[in-house]
Amino acid sequence: MSDEEVPPTVEEVPPIVEEEPVVEEPPPPPRPSILHRLTIETEPEPRLIDATTLRKQTRRDFLLFGAGVAATAAGAWWLLPRHLDSIAVRASRERFLNRALTFDDDVAEALYSRNRLVQTYSRKDVTPLRNNYHNPTPGPGYLSTWSLTLTGLASGRDAVLSLDDLHRLSRHEQITRLVCVEGWSAIAWWGGVRFADLLAAYPPHPRAKWAAMESGVTDYYVSIDLDTARHPQSLLATHHDGAPLTLAHGAPLRLVVPMKLGLKNIKALTKIAYLEKEPRDFWAERGYSKYDGL
Amino acid sequence: MADEPAVERTIVAKHHLLVRLSHWLNVPILAAMIVSGLAIYWASPVHQHPPDRITGSRDYLADAGAFVARIVGVHDAKAQREWFYNHFSIGVFQLAEALRLHWLFAYLFMLAGLMYVIGIFRSGSYRAVLPRRGDLREAFAMIRYYLRLGKHPVVTSKYNALQRGAYASVPLFGVLAIASGWAMHKPSQLGWLARMFGSYDGARFIHFWTRWAFIAFAIPHVFLAIADGWDTVRSMVTGWSARVGAPHE
Repeated sequence: MSDEEVPPTVEEVPPIVEEEPVVEEPPPPPRPSILHRLTIETEPEPRLIDATTLRKQTRRDFLLFGAGVAATAAGAWWLLPRHLDSIAVRASRERFLNRALTFDDDVAEALYSRNRLVQTYSRKDVTPLRNNYHNPTPGPGYLSTWSLTLTGLASGRDAVLSLDDLHRLSRHEQITRLVCVEGWSAIAWWGGVRFADLLAAYPPHPRAKWAAMESGVTDYYVSIDLDTARHPQSLLATHHDGAPLTLAHGAPLRLVVPMKLGLKNIKALTKIAYLEKEPRDFWAERGYSKYDGL
Repeated sequence: MADEPAVERTIVAKHHLLVRLSHWLNVPILAAMIVSGLAIYWASPVHQHPPDRITGSRDYLADAGAFVARIVGVHDAKAQREWFYNHFSIGVFQLAEALRLHWLFAYLFMLAGLMYVIGIFRSGSYRAVLPRRGDLREAFAMIRYYLRLGKHPVVTSKYNALQRGAYASVPLFGVLAIASGWAMHKPSQLGWLARMFGSYDGARFIHFWTRWAFIAFAIPHVFLAIADGWDTVRSMVTGWSARVGAPHE
């Protein structure tokens, strides 16, 4: 600003004579500091407005507001009372809500990194683990004939594995949190083999992107993307709390994926099919997310 | 219409368009977050006690609901137990439905929050809610005034100290609700955020209580805005106020 070049005695210099009487101006106030300008509330400038214009503007604003209220009420009617819906309304509503769910799944997938390890805990953090079987816990009858079938392999042949076959892979342990979609969570100590090691030992078909994980024992099935399966903390667990899995926790083999909700951690696993297309998922068919990334 | 004399009125800008939009959008959004959030809460309450010998209830919130239900004359034990969730949420056994609604409105809530933040910074109105010296004294004077124990203190700012405290803390509760929500939603990928809340249940606890903070704010907010007069209510729709210059009271 050029003001700063003028010496402070500026008032003593006779002002340039103009027609109108010159009001003697006080010296300009010191320029407020940046902190002051950023934090001190300033009185907004009052302005004059033609009363008719103002009335029109106000009427327009309230009409828009009313339209917004009406649209919100219609939206709430469409979204909330399920018992009033016609079939057509329900279908469009389901599509809309599923799109919101898919969007959230896409966000979860974007957040996921195979290189990011989930938090691990120490032995003293371990908590009791609830048996949250949706159906009754299976009896021990199936254990003597249990095997794990792999299909969709690169070899083109199916593989049928016993526990001993799995135990040939190197054993890993981890203490991670299992988070249930219901809201509770538990810290559990798992032992087993890495899913990634199984994928290396029995490579899936090169075009496969998904693992359809099934339990023939409990008629439960989940979809797991192979990127998740290859995570170093994705475990095919045989042990819990240092002992072989109990029936309540999915003996003899279950999936442990701490980067997914608990419902993806399928128990009493009997079959893994590697597929190109996304397979069915028990809870996704019941209105829950497909991806379930934590 | 007959020609009216050209009258001019003096007005002053009060709320930025984005502030007004996000303000009103928050009404249905928070309502949806509450009714879906409570239905999610029902599936596994944060505040639990050992199961009751008679009702089997573990849930303090359901117990409080049952207490009210008995007072209002509900006799069926199951209806008593579910009364709170049937009246203030989308209902019991609605977890999948509630989650879908909750995610949808959570994203809308974040969008509205972003609109609000842009609005207060573009208009500079964030300055009016920053705390300042003398706020505590003025806040107590306002409480005394509301209790009819004293006069309205002279307020030269857009807001009095109580309003300032409320309007500054509600966005903070919003940030807390969003942060604790993400901490619960993605505790593995956002582990740093989850750890900021101490534990998984720490985030659930905070998330649960931010809801009551919003409710505790909203109820007096509505009453006081209406009590303050038409100019105040109108300004949140039109953006301007006709109360120019003069300090309140």
